[in-house]
Formats: sequence, C-alpha cells, structure tokens
Amino acid sequence: MFAQFFGSFLLNEGLVTAQQLAKALDDKKNTKTRLGVLAINAGYMTAGQVEFIHQVQSTVDKRIGDIAVEMGFVTKEQVEELLSKQPQDYLILGQTLVNNGVLTNAQFEKALADYKSFNQLSEDDLNGDKTDKLDKIISDFYKVDGVDTVRYSSYLTLLFKNLIRFVGDDFTPLSASVVTCADYENMVGQKVKGDNSDAYTAICCDTDIYVKFAERFSEEKLDTADDFVNATVGEFLNLHNGLFIVNQSNEYGEEMTLEPQEFVYKTAVDFDKTTLDVPVAFSFGTVHFIVSNL
Amino acid sequence: MTINEMTVMICDDSMFARKKMKDYILSLGVAACYEAADGEQAVENYKEYKPSIVFMDIVMPKKTGIDAVKEIIEFDPDAKIVMASSVGTQNHLKEAINAGAFEFLQKPISNDQISKLIEMITKGV
Repeated sequence: MFAQFFGSFLLNEGLVTAQQLAKALDDKKNTKTRLGVLAINAGYMTAGQVEFIHQVQSTVDKRIGDIAVEMGFVTKEQVEELLSKQPQDYLILGQTLVNNGVLTNAQFEKALADYKSFNQLSEDDLNGDKTDKLDKIISDFYKVDGVDTVRYSSYLTLLFKNLIRFVGDDFTPLSASVVTCADYENMVGQKVKGDNSDAYTAICCDTDIYVKFAERFSEEKLDTADDFVNATVGEFLNLHNGLFIVNQSNEYGEEMTLEPQEFVYKTAVDFDKTTLDVPVAFSFGTVHFIVSNL
Repeated sequence: MTINEMTVMICDDSMFARKKMKDYILSLGVAACYEAADGEQAVENYKEYKPSIVFMDIVMPKKTGIDAVKEIIEFDPDAKIVMASSVGTQNHLKEAINAGAFEFLQKPISNDQISKLIEMITKGV
C-alpha cells in the first residue's frame, strides 16, 4: 500500500500531474524494475552514477550490472542481492514514472528520500505492509480536528487494503476534507450501529465512475447504473464495513451491527455530525468514501 | 443424495451477492437454486421448496437472517442452514448457532468453501 501513498505524495509535491500518475498506475503492470532504480532505492548508487552507467551502456554491449561493478559503484554481491529481491510496488510505480519520462532518475532519488524522511520510513519498513507504519502514514495523512484518528485510520487502512484486494491497486488517495453534505450523482450508504452512537458510511461518485467501480468489483461487463450496479457497489461497502466491525469486535470486544444499504440518486445528503470525505483517484475516475461520526 | 438431486436456496438482499453465488452453485450441477431477497421471503420460500441447503445473509430488510433461521428451524428442525454474512462478530456467530445454523462463513466467501459444504450435504453430514 506504500505505492498508493507514494503516488499521493508525488502528486501533492507537484512532481507529477494527476494524469501522469493515472497513466503510470495503468502502465505499471507491464513494468519491470531495473537495476538503476533498485540501486537508488537501496542507497547503493546515486542517480548520477546510474545516469553515467546508462551513457556508458549506450556505447558498449554490456549489462548494467556488469558496468556498475566494473566502475566500482557496487559489488557483485550487491547486484545479485538487488536482482534477487521481489521489487516493492512503490518501486514499480517509480520505475514506470521514470520510463514514461515523467521523472528523471535524480528526481526519483530525491522524491524517494524526501518521502522516506517525511514519514520516518526505513528500507525495512517499506518491505511488506507493516501495519503500524501504514497506520501512521494514514493517520498523519487524514489528520482532522475533532476526529478520532485511531478509529478513522483503522477504518481507512482496511478500506485501502480491501480496494487493493477487490477492486485494484491503481489508485491514489487524495487529501480528505470535512464536509456537511454529499452531493454526487450516485451514493450507496450504510449505517454502522454501535453501542453508544451510530456512524454512517457511503460510497459516492458520478454515474460513469460508479459503473466502472462496479465492473471492477463484479468482474463483469456493465453498461448502465441499474439495480445490479447499485447492488454491486453496495456489496463492496457491506463487505468492507463487515470486515471492519469484525476487526473491532476481535480487537476491542466492541459489538457493532450493520443496517441494509440505501441508494441515493441525484439527491444531496446532509450530515450533522463530523463527516470526512475521502476521495480516491482511480485510473477510471475519483470515488468518494464518506465516513461520518465513526 | 447426489449433487444433481440437491436443491439450494440463497438468501441475500444483494442481487450481486446472489448472482455470484448462484452462477457458481448452478455450475456444480445442482437440481435447482432458489433465491430470497429478505428474511420474510427466505422463510416463505423454505416452506415452499424445502431446499437441501440454505445460504443465509444476516443483514437484510424486513426480517434479519437470524430471525429467519429461527423460524425455519421451528418449521423444520433438520434444516441445513449456513450463515453467509459480512458481519461475523462473536455476538452474531453465537446468535446464529443458537438459532440453529450449522456453519458460519464470513464474506467474502470463496467457491471452495461453497463446494465443500455442498459436498458435505451430499454425503449426508
């Protein structure tokens, strides 16, 4: 999941445009990480050294790794180590942006260093989806006054995991805002009833994006926002909310229940409790997740 | 009972959830697959069709899956009902088992889980 937040960081820093990012997210399934990006990430080579090797390689018929070893930039063991590891998703995204000419190796190097220091992440943290670090990135990213950050970030961390698992990993979380109203073409809402208070959750977006989201989750070809599309988006919300309340029940012994979903079309919905609108930009459009009074 | 003598009923308010499950269950070669979109319909359809196995959601309009299980069991104590729900909290689990369900599956439910249960029923477990 670091890839999604790395993408979001690049976007917020103005290093990529939303369009460039969406294209890279789309392209990255065909990307193979190359030694240069892996070595920059591991801190074995600087971007300057990588550029230099690429220049040398254009004049001689040798592999990048061999040139790097000959130049004394890295050892043979380091090359083997880099190539043997499964590349992390954020590196594949970085490599795609470099391949697409959006970032230079030097810009990638700087962005990666800034991102790691900004979030106090080590190389180890980025290997795998360490929950505590992810929770911190997510709670920092969605820090809002008057909101129980721990609760919201565990809801959102699970949401992003479920999006990756059931919808696709080609998305970028955008900055959230506190809202009093949701006014989108389509909305699926579900009340989550707790011991003391009730929360409200919803998925909203415009119709063409709504259909695309349903297509992804159902793995079926869909054309119009009919009852089946409503049921599909509604089932994703229900599935996610269900997994959330199961986690809360297991971890804190808190018992919550869900109500049947409701479907709203072209009608604004007002909220009187603290409500977060969390936009998530997929390559097919932006989907808004509403979390109220959680 | 062989698989082509078996009948199945899926109770879920989500048309999407029903379709996904039904497509797979029909592909296994069962005799019939009935649907219900809420708890009331689930009870009515059970009485009418007496399916060999029922997959029952919990959160549904009109009548919850738990209440539907209680009524079905009252009508037929041997009914084979599997809860298939997104809300597998400890309370729901206890309620479902107390109501008479024999198994509880947390969504998302894999085809593998479905086929194992159907196989169990064919062996008369």
